[in-house]
Amino acid sequence: MNSKIQNDIKELVEAQVISSEVAVNIESYYTSKKIDAPNRLFTVFAVLGSTLVGLGIILILAHNWDNFSRSIKTIFAFVPLLIGQFFVGYSILKKKSVAWKEASGVFLFFAVGASIALVSQIYNISGDFSSYMLTWVLLCAPLIYLLKSNALAILHIVFTTNYACAFGYFDGNQTPWLYLLLLAVLMPYYYQLLKHKKAYNITSVFNWLIPLSIVVVLGAFVARNGEFGILMYVILFGLLYNIGKTPFLNNQKLRRNGYLVLGSLGTVYMLLLTSFEWLWKDILREAVVFNSQEFYVSTVLFLITLGVVWYSYSKKWIESFNLFQYVFIFFTIIFFIGISTSIFPIILINLIIFILGVIVIKIGADKFHFGILNYGLLIITALIVCRFFDTNMSFVLRGLLFVSVGVGFFLTNYMMLKRQKTKKN
Amino acid sequence: MKKIHIFILFIMIAVAQIFVPAQMIFNKESIMNTGTAYKFKTQPVDPNDPYRGKYINLNFEQNSFVTTDSIWERKDKVYVYLEADSLGYAKVKGVSKTLLNLEKDFIVSEVGWYNKRDRELNFNLPFNRYYMEETKAYDAEIAVRNNQRDSIQNNTYALVYIKNGEAVLNDVIINEISIKDYVEIEK
Repeated sequence: MNSKIQNDIKELVEAQVISSEVAVNIESYYTSKKIDAPNRLFTVFAVLGSTLVGLGIILILAHNWDNFSRSIKTIFAFVPLLIGQFFVGYSILKKKSVAWKEASGVFLFFAVGASIALVSQIYNISGDFSSYMLTWVLLCAPLIYLLKSNALAILHIVFTTNYACAFGYFDGNQTPWLYLLLLAVLMPYYYQLLKHKKAYNITSVFNWLIPLSIVVVLGAFVARNGEFGILMYVILFGLLYNIGKTPFLNNQKLRRNGYLVLGSLGTVYMLLLTSFEWLWKDILREAVVFNSQEFYVSTVLFLITLGVVWYSYSKKWIESFNLFQYVFIFFTIIFFIGISTSIFPIILINLIIFILGVIVIKIGADKFHFGILNYGLLIITALIVCRFFDTNMSFVLRGLLFVSVGVGFFLTNYMMLKRQKTKKN
Repeated sequence: MKKIHIFILFIMIAVAQIFVPAQMIFNKESIMNTGTAYKFKTQPVDPNDPYRGKYINLNFEQNSFVTTDSIWERKDKVYVYLEADSLGYAKVKGVSKTLLNLEKDFIVSEVGWYNKRDRELNFNLPFNRYYMEETKAYDAEIAVRNNQRDSIQNNTYALVYIKNGEAVLNDVIINEISIKDYVEIEK
């Protein structure tokens, strides 16, 4: 307990604001709270420590020591692994603290990687980087549940993403279907976190990492027909936004809700990207293949998103019309119109971005939230900046547009500030 | 779940974690002990792997075969049948999409591309990485280049053991010396 609180309590007792009994209660409350704090800090440092040691061992082994014979190198491959397993076994048997379990688990994770890496070096196994990562992640996945380790769950998602990127983007044009399985492996753990540790920081870490990982990997599901990639991403961002809008996540602070933030930013980004004419001309140039993997992935994503919207609607979670939640439907229609003509889609998309901007400004004004208000203004500014480059408007007209938006920024913020003040008074 | 159950599950996972690298070792050792040795003429260059360190990438001379079968998809499996010449150098004798009942050694490789004009199938042999001590990998590439400039014939080859379609790259040899030692002599 810090001395300031102690002094305050003393003062309050002397001034007879609280009784000495209450003072004792307050003191014991703060001491009990404090027991937890240094433990958590210790866990964080223990995890960081074993991550660094583990990575260090991998790097040292990656030197490929020529002076050692094959059999000595083989023994080295198993030493870190056995040490890691010993500590994990010990912390399970002796029911050690969270710090023990997290730290030993992380060490074992890297030891498994080091061991397979060293064997590959000894026998010059040329297997792809992605297959090496896959073996590694699969061998360590069960540890997440046995040790109930957050650090291992984070490593799992980071390395799974790494695997999917290596497999899908770098080792040739393949689809990382196993990524879905690896993600599914983590879901029961994530569900437990959401259920029991809703307000913990660790849960919000996953609320960001999981959607981020999906956003990064989705592109790898595009094999040949790149134009469907655009549609897939718009629908995915719609899905993330709609998940973020479910009361469970929406009632939390915005910084805990990665789904909503990523969904909203991604939707705006994709719409701005597709508001350029060259993109639609690109789609028109190539024949759209309906009987393709991309089309089916898009369809599945669309149905899932529609399912989430329908479920939200049936549970009466959707109270008022929010265009962000339906953009994916409009965009899908626009996308298929775009196959035959490029003018309509561009007009419609510009219109949607403009309406989205206005809606966000309105939400910001209603909630008295300056961040949201200015996000809406930024959307409209971004739209104008994009059009600045590809229209044949006269410079005077473009200049006037910019001036008016700038004035709009000042006015709306000023008006809201004033309203807030009058409301307070 | 009871502590003992968790522990038993952990032991099973620990065994799997040991089994995977151990199985890799046994498999490779068996190929090296009972497989046939071939020499593959090659040219190395040096890249990097974030977890496994420096290696030299081997470009083999025997990486294509003329075949009239023109339907090949990239990354498909191809059975490459081999024969050794009088000096022990490997020569490709045939390629096939399926396993043939021949009394010859073969390697399971991956299709690179098919050149329709020359009717040539290019494939990637599955042992194109030779891991080296990090200080030596770049020197090895330079040494090979210098050696090729000085001599008329390419006398750099990979020594590979082959058994039942699987291969282990044992060493890379320049002028009959292991590349590891050759790099040090050159210095």
